[in-house]
Amino acid sequence: MLLSMVLFAFAMAPLGLLARREPRALVGWGLALLPFAIFVLLCTQIGTVVNQGPIVETLRWVPTMGLELRFTLDGLSLLFALIITGIGTLIVGYAGAYMEKDIGLGRFLVYLFLFMGAMLGVVLAGNVLTMFVFWELTSVTSYLLIGYKHEYPDARRGAQHSLLITGFGGLALLVGLLMLGAAAKQVGVLAEQAYNLDAIIAAGRQIVATDLYGPAMAFVFLGAFTKSAQFPFHFWLPGAMQAPTPASAFLHSATMVKAGVYLLARLAPGMGDTPLWNYTLVTVGGFTFAFGAFVAFRQYDIKALLAYSTLSQLGGLILMIGLGGKYGAEALVTLILAHALYKSALFMTAGIIDHETGTRDLNRLGGLRKLMPRTMVIVGIALLSQMGIPIMFGFVAKEWALKAALESDLAAPWPLLGLAAILIAAVGYIIAAWRFFKNAFLGKPHPDVLQHHVHDPKVAMLISPAVPAFLSLLLPLGLPWVSTFLSPAASAVYGHDFTFELYLYGGVNQALLFSLAAIGVGVLLATQERRLAAHRIIASVSGAKLFDRLVEGILAFATGLARTIQSGRLRTYILYTIFAYFVIVGIPFVIYGLGDVRSIQDNSPYFYEVVVVSLIPVGIIATITARSRLGAIIAVSMIGAMVALIFVLFSAADLALTQLLIEVLSTVFLLFLFSVMPSRFRNFSPAWVRWRDAVIAVAFGILMSGLVLAGATTNLFQSIAPYYLEQSVPGGKGANVVNVILVDFRSFDTLGEIVVLFVALISIFGLLRFRKQRSDVRSSGRERLTILPGEAGVLVGNGMDEGVERAAVPSSQKQEKST
Amino acid sequence: MIFLLAIAIGSLFAGAVYLILRRSVAKLILGLMLLSHAVNLLIFTMGDGGVRRGALPIVDYYTGEVMPNTTDPLVQALILTAIVISFGITAFIMALAYRATQAMKTDDLDDMANTDRL
Repeated sequence: MLLSMVLFAFAMAPLGLLARREPRALVGWGLALLPFAIFVLLCTQIGTVVNQGPIVETLRWVPTMGLELRFTLDGLSLLFALIITGIGTLIVGYAGAYMEKDIGLGRFLVYLFLFMGAMLGVVLAGNVLTMFVFWELTSVTSYLLIGYKHEYPDARRGAQHSLLITGFGGLALLVGLLMLGAAAKQVGVLAEQAYNLDAIIAAGRQIVATDLYGPAMAFVFLGAFTKSAQFPFHFWLPGAMQAPTPASAFLHSATMVKAGVYLLARLAPGMGDTPLWNYTLVTVGGFTFAFGAFVAFRQYDIKALLAYSTLSQLGGLILMIGLGGKYGAEALVTLILAHALYKSALFMTAGIIDHETGTRDLNRLGGLRKLMPRTMVIVGIALLSQMGIPIMFGFVAKEWALKAALESDLAAPWPLLGLAAILIAAVGYIIAAWRFFKNAFLGKPHPDVLQHHVHDPKVAMLISPAVPAFLSLLLPLGLPWVSTFLSPAASAVYGHDFTFELYLYGGVNQALLFSLAAIGVGVLLATQERRLAAHRIIASVSGAKLFDRLVEGILAFATGLARTIQSGRLRTYILYTIFAYFVIVGIPFVIYGLGDVRSIQDNSPYFYEVVVVSLIPVGIIATITARSRLGAIIAVSMIGAMVALIFVLFSAADLALTQLLIEVLSTVFLLFLFSVMPSRFRNFSPAWVRWRDAVIAVAFGILMSGLVLAGATTNLFQSIAPYYLEQSVPGGKGANVVNVILVDFRSFDTLGEIVVLFVALISIFGLLRFRKQRSDVRSSGRERLTILPGEAGVLVGNGMDEGVERAAVPSSQKQEKST
Repeated sequence: MIFLLAIAIGSLFAGAVYLILRRSVAKLILGLMLLSHAVNLLIFTMGDGGVRRGALPIVDYYTGEVMPNTTDPLVQALILTAIVISFGITAFIMALAYRATQAMKTDDLDDMANTDRL
């Protein structure tokens, strides 16, 4: 059932194209029924999960690699899956109304459904590799959604940032997960179970003790922090606000950015509760929590303001995981639910304001309370929940966060740091919320606003933010029920089954006092929001710009490197190869091999052997210094003949025959080739280059000679030659062992040789045939018309060398007479 | 005699490298031919028991008995294949050089590298 849910989410993607048709608002809500169906199906599972524990489904995929399609539905997955499909339903309906006039809605919904499938896959996966596959899919679909308005450079830039950052994080995550799997195998988990999430978590305590734990976690953290936009990888999230608002509300507040949080929460019972884990998460999460809240209220763009408060909230979630303990787990799941509700409502209302007034700039808004009263109510409720004002669900969540910090088991300074981060963020949220509300709804309307005919949107659009906003208000009434639902989720994070009770008012305690103090300070500062916003507390260095410069730098470096290495000249490549050879072979040879050369024993050569061999260097010098082509051909042929003679002298009659035959053929070919090439060799290179090459060549030759001598004295392996000799007659029915090897023992080599020759033949035929084709074209006008467009290049090329040919024929005849 | 062969192979490699580093297509082809000679001889020296005079890679046909002075047949079989393949490649490069020289009116590799100019 879980697998079919994920598959269904993917399968419904093409249906998104239906939204190309009018009326889009209606089609949108019709399509919203698809995710709603999954939502309902998941709701029916709540009872099972709460009472009977996780549902597990396994499908073998690549068992040898430990890859299986394993899906698990426990409390935590259920919470996320319900948020994904529930908010998803509202978003799809909202998108239909929001993009009513945009024909691209079809494409948009396709991406959105694909994303939904991927995200469901992430939270339902019970195997880390399966999870990784879906994880990467969310990055890709997020890229498509951010770049939806691809005609705008900002959208492309935002999409590129998000893909590069989350893609990089994804790779790091893969490395981390593979290391976790390796560590699991090390501590005795079965190979096919090594990537099974439950197995990894069950073996958690042993894995923590291995050497792989530290590096594996470093990579997993990188993956989680990039995905969840933690400092210093936070800047892609504000950039991602270039996506259409429905996508921002869905991906970049409620679901995808929480994938990193989900991953850490998932691993927490096994990998958590170590100094590395706790201190890293408290530091990074706490800093992002406070930092995001403070940057948020300086923003003028509503979506940017919400984006920064989102990344701050994500920091808060990671802080909760870092603080650990029962309260940490409880606070985490409560915060996740609270945040998903109010933040999606806020994003959707931001979209509504943008849609109605044509701007999201807080300086150009104002006085909307009379024009958009219903929107104002929704925004107000959602903001109250975000601020953590009593009786809202956000208040409950904040209470629990404070409790998690106060009751944490960590060593002295860490819980206090967490507490400070929570309080700073609480104050920051109040200022940000007030700034949003005041500048958008209170005061006098901006002249721009009055120009538009601004009014509340249709119900089809308004209902989507209204549902989560009112849920933030109503959930505190059903806290016992919410607690039952959240308990399994908290248990999954904590690692042991337990239940807890959320409550609105638990008497006067530390948490409540801190909370009220934060509200007080927040309200006080909120009245000064304009002055605070103008004050540049945080340096204005933009992470996005730094990142751009980094990417440009990498590209410039790569271009420069490629230009230097890839010169397009064979000589340069050969030089690289030779230098690499000097380093890899030459240096070890000088160190280890020279002794072998000195110890060599040699019987004295015969006179005729000396003559034959000494003709080779003579021939080489003649080839190099030859002024005419015919001289070079003669010299090279002589070398070939000497090589054949060497084969004769040293017991290789077959080789000598073949060599001689091939040599004759080569000489004929060379004569033919050189007859059409320029007559004399010119020295293209300056003298110093030639001397340099000569030195390199001689050094290479000496090294090779040395290797031959060293090889003659070294015998590392038992030769297999005796085997062939012995088996030749019984195995191959032949006395000439060379022939038997060629046609019998190693006949596939011969087959390969024939194939090479055949390919060479076809290629040569193709190369030479071009001439013929050209003459056909010239001879008849009708054939010219039948030439395909692709052949045009050939015609052009041939047209150009006509003159060459005519000129070349008589001159080459002349040359041959002269030589 | 291994000294003699070492000198032959070393000079073949040196000559091949020098010719391959030239800018002329014709010299490149000559260099490749020398390189294949060099490599064949290099393999030749790597046979079981080194190079020998007056030995044959042949066994007694009737008894299948291995005679005392028998040379390594495996390297010979490998070189035989190598000779033919290197010939096929040389022939292909010759045809290519022929076409390239015709089309670009030069045998300078540096001029050929920049075909966009044509």
